[in-house]
Amino acid sequence: MISEPRIKLLARNVAAFRRGGSVDRQVRLVPGNPVSTRLESGVGNCFPGLECDLRNLERRFFPLLEVDIGDNEIRVVSVDLAGLAATAAAGGLPPAAVAAYQRIATDTEQGRNWSISRLSGDFGPLGALTLEVRDFTSVSSGPGRRPADAWTAIRLLREGTNVTIRLTRPSQPPVTLVGARTRYLDDNGALATIFLPGELNQSLCSPWTHDFRDCACFYWASNHPDIALPPLPTPAPNQPEWNAPVEWERADRSSLGRPPAAVADGPGATGPELDHLEINSKWQLLNFVVEGRERLTPYAPASPEAHPLASAAELERHLRYAAGVELAVVQQYLAAAYSIRSLRQSDNEAFTKDISAAKAELMRIAIEEMRHLRSVNDVLASLAEPRAFLPALNVASLLPATSPGGAPLPVRARPATHDAILEFVAIEQPSASVDGLYARILATLVANDSNQQAHTIRSVMAEGEEHWRTFRFIFTWLNRHPEADYLRSTNLQVPPPGNPQHAELQARYKAVLEQLYAGYSAGIPSGAGEINAARMAMLGVSGLQGSAEAVAAAGFLVAFDAIADPRFQALDPP
Amino acid sequence: MTSAHKPPAGAAASGFPLYHRFRSELGEHVLIVPQTRIYDLPAETAAVFDTDAGAASAVADVLSLSGPQEVALDSFSVPKPQQISLNVTSNCNLGCTYCYAGRGSFEGKQVGAMTWDTARQSIDRLFASCERSRPVTIGFIGGEPFMNRRLIHDCVRYARRRGNQLAIDARFALTTNGTMLRADDIELLQGNPFAVTVSVDGGALTHDRHRPLAGGRGGSFSQLARAVGPLIKQPGLAHVCARSTVTSIDLDLVSRFEGIAALGFIDVGFSPVRAGCGALGDADWGRYLDALITVAVSEIARARDGGPLRLSNLAIALKQLHRGFSSPYPCGAGGGYFSIGTDGNWYACHRAIGDERFRLGNPVSLEEAIRKQFLAERHVHAQAECRACWARYLCSGGCHHEAPHRTVQSCNYIRGWLEFCLRTYCELMDARPDLFEPISIGGKTP
Repeated sequence: MISEPRIKLLARNVAAFRRGGSVDRQVRLVPGNPVSTRLESGVGNCFPGLECDLRNLERRFFPLLEVDIGDNEIRVVSVDLAGLAATAAAGGLPPAAVAAYQRIATDTEQGRNWSISRLSGDFGPLGALTLEVRDFTSVSSGPGRRPADAWTAIRLLREGTNVTIRLTRPSQPPVTLVGARTRYLDDNGALATIFLPGELNQSLCSPWTHDFRDCACFYWASNHPDIALPPLPTPAPNQPEWNAPVEWERADRSSLGRPPAAVADGPGATGPELDHLEINSKWQLLNFVVEGRERLTPYAPASPEAHPLASAAELERHLRYAAGVELAVVQQYLAAAYSIRSLRQSDNEAFTKDISAAKAELMRIAIEEMRHLRSVNDVLASLAEPRAFLPALNVASLLPATSPGGAPLPVRARPATHDAILEFVAIEQPSASVDGLYARILATLVANDSNQQAHTIRSVMAEGEEHWRTFRFIFTWLNRHPEADYLRSTNLQVPPPGNPQHAELQARYKAVLEQLYAGYSAGIPSGAGEINAARMAMLGVSGLQGSAEAVAAAGFLVAFDAIADPRFQALDPP
Repeated sequence: MTSAHKPPAGAAASGFPLYHRFRSELGEHVLIVPQTRIYDLPAETAAVFDTDAGAASAVADVLSLSGPQEVALDSFSVPKPQQISLNVTSNCNLGCTYCYAGRGSFEGKQVGAMTWDTARQSIDRLFASCERSRPVTIGFIGGEPFMNRRLIHDCVRYARRRGNQLAIDARFALTTNGTMLRADDIELLQGNPFAVTVSVDGGALTHDRHRPLAGGRGGSFSQLARAVGPLIKQPGLAHVCARSTVTSIDLDLVSRFEGIAALGFIDVGFSPVRAGCGALGDADWGRYLDALITVAVSEIARARDGGPLRLSNLAIALKQLHRGFSSPYPCGAGGGYFSIGTDGNWYACHRAIGDERFRLGNPVSLEEAIRKQFLAERHVHAQAECRACWARYLCSGGCHHEAPHRTVQSCNYIRGWLEFCLRTYCELMDARPDLFEPISIGGKTP
């Protein structure tokens, strides 16, 4: 009974608004609605626009006539005969004018076109003018300025002032009519009755037809995505290819046994989409997209709630593991970044842009994960008893699972293959994997009123979400190209034992860890020297950077061996 | 009107009414009883509420659910102390006819004045046990508090200093007959966040009849007017209000109100005597309601012309209706509020000094088990006759101390007054929305 429409309540006091039916509820963001669905985000470009095409007003600028307006043409499309009869009966028109209107009406009905070739009147800021319609040049500037086109000229005419029009038809003597420029609005500001219902909207774009098919790149304000993650079968598979964006308007609407073809945009690379005819008849087959993924079943929000950890000891274990995860992903992202070959003169511009962007972003993210390592250590230090803090520099043995109930991921050096990047997307995905780990840490810090530490973790999480978005871009860039084109080799391996470049890399890596350990142990300010020394030891030819380049140049993956030192040895998840 | 003793319309299966229908000049409305949600009803929906109790109760049931920012009304908690009043003296310079405190002595249960040690220890306990993120209030009461002027000044100075050290927002309250205010007292009140309640019953005639000087030395009105005048003119940080205690022998609230307003008060409230000398009887409650509404109607007319609402009974009720005030307790007694006798014992309320049934703590500590039982017994759901009343979360059973004197007629007065206030709320929300704080939920306004 509750759902029957006859019940309608209008909230009046604060408590009623708080319960629902409130402005707050109407405007709050819900999954699936981008901010562009808000009313204030409506596209207001009115020439033409999505709500109304104001140019239609000028179609009735002259009494009793309806015209089509081009840049250099004003063509009569109808005559208001009922209005003409009423005006004539009231003595508002001389008989010659009535006869002229009737003649034009008859010709128009029979497909013989009359056009307005000359306009004389008060053109507002441009003053009194006589203008030949065919002479408009699309330019309007300088002394003696003229309107740029026919519509602009008409728009400039002052309401209520007399306008003289010269009408012509091939091989017929011209007709001259005089009338006041029509009022578009009545005294109450409402649209004048001369306009028919729908007349102002008649030239608008129509998003559910061809335009919907043709206008891509998020043109429509509140509408459709170009790409989305594919709908998941049940149970949800764990393979990374289900996390690759696909064409939303794909022509292939087949079953879910395998994911649809991933997006590979670029010239000629777009997969087949529904064509114009199909989009008109099959638009209802397009799936709802919520949180970036197509949905075939009612959306059930995942619980956003993260449960606080039970004790301070458990919090410390999770923070130490989080630091280890940061170290592990740094290693993975560096391996991927250094697997991308150097660019050559012969590479084309599109390839150069994609590959250089992908490598630069991979390096940026790896460096930001190093900062996260520092942030987590700062939080641990702030929570520890004085002088009891031990830095967290043990690399994680496994990464958190990327789906609920899934298996943890191994930490392994991999080249930047399409699959590897998709796995990085999954690792950084909000509310899952690494983000899920931090969510519990954050919930614990918030519950403990550890506000400063909570703020630090929030920043780490926010950057993690940015990494997730960036990895999706990286995937798009790299997925445009065969792996063989941009990797140093399709068969990149971890260097064999005894490889001198690899051995040098390990030595420098351990030295950096030693410096970090000393710096973190001493804290700021006394440890600043060591921390800065570690930073410097990463850069340049003589640093980690140089070593990594050397390993890559030798044709191997940049990888980091397990270290037996208890300060740096592998750490299992809590 | 709904009787407290028969099942009313809008009762859910449990027997607890979930909604109450009312009308205003704007049209039809409904009050959802739990959480005090107020809705306008189109005629068609109003008809459903009036004819289909099942559908209406189902709707009300859903709307009754408490949201994330709301306290469930069947919940029971023992909050931290947040407000105390210090009975700084058991003496008074007046001999009011209806005084519940026997001029501060509480029939001999309270003697002497509070010492500095007792006051300081009480303040320290409040600071040690309060929720520090919320303001605390230290009140001064008696007797006439300014009979122990020195202690008030010392306490304020101490509480400000300690509050600053502990980052606690300390505020103050004081109930006074206003006759003893000196320049240094006014300076104290002006310079600190004080809620000052001045007991003033009306114009000179009414006031002097009820509030004579002790020892038969005549009325106190002229002393009051002289002493309070400068504070009313320049209240500084203080908020000054007048409270008129109404007895059954003089229910002419209009002339009382005019007499008090003539002193310059812009916040005037009435408080009827419910027990003891001058208490309103069953025959008086209807007349009292009519008189209160008469004053209110006049104030509402002023408000519609742009004036402030000076009748605090109305202004507070409207503010609470606007916010959706909804509570199983009528006040903080024994919850966040305690009154400390001159002997240092902690009582649930200043009305009950010396009453063992209301003593919830000794000079050293609160007796938590007794306190818990006190609160459990006084939850409105534990009051059999209140459970069937639609006004139960607005009235919450009324003052614990006066509850034994509750009658059907006195409850009818409460419901009648709330019905009037509900109607007025809707009408003034329409006519003077600026009188109410803007509705803002999640940063959005309608």
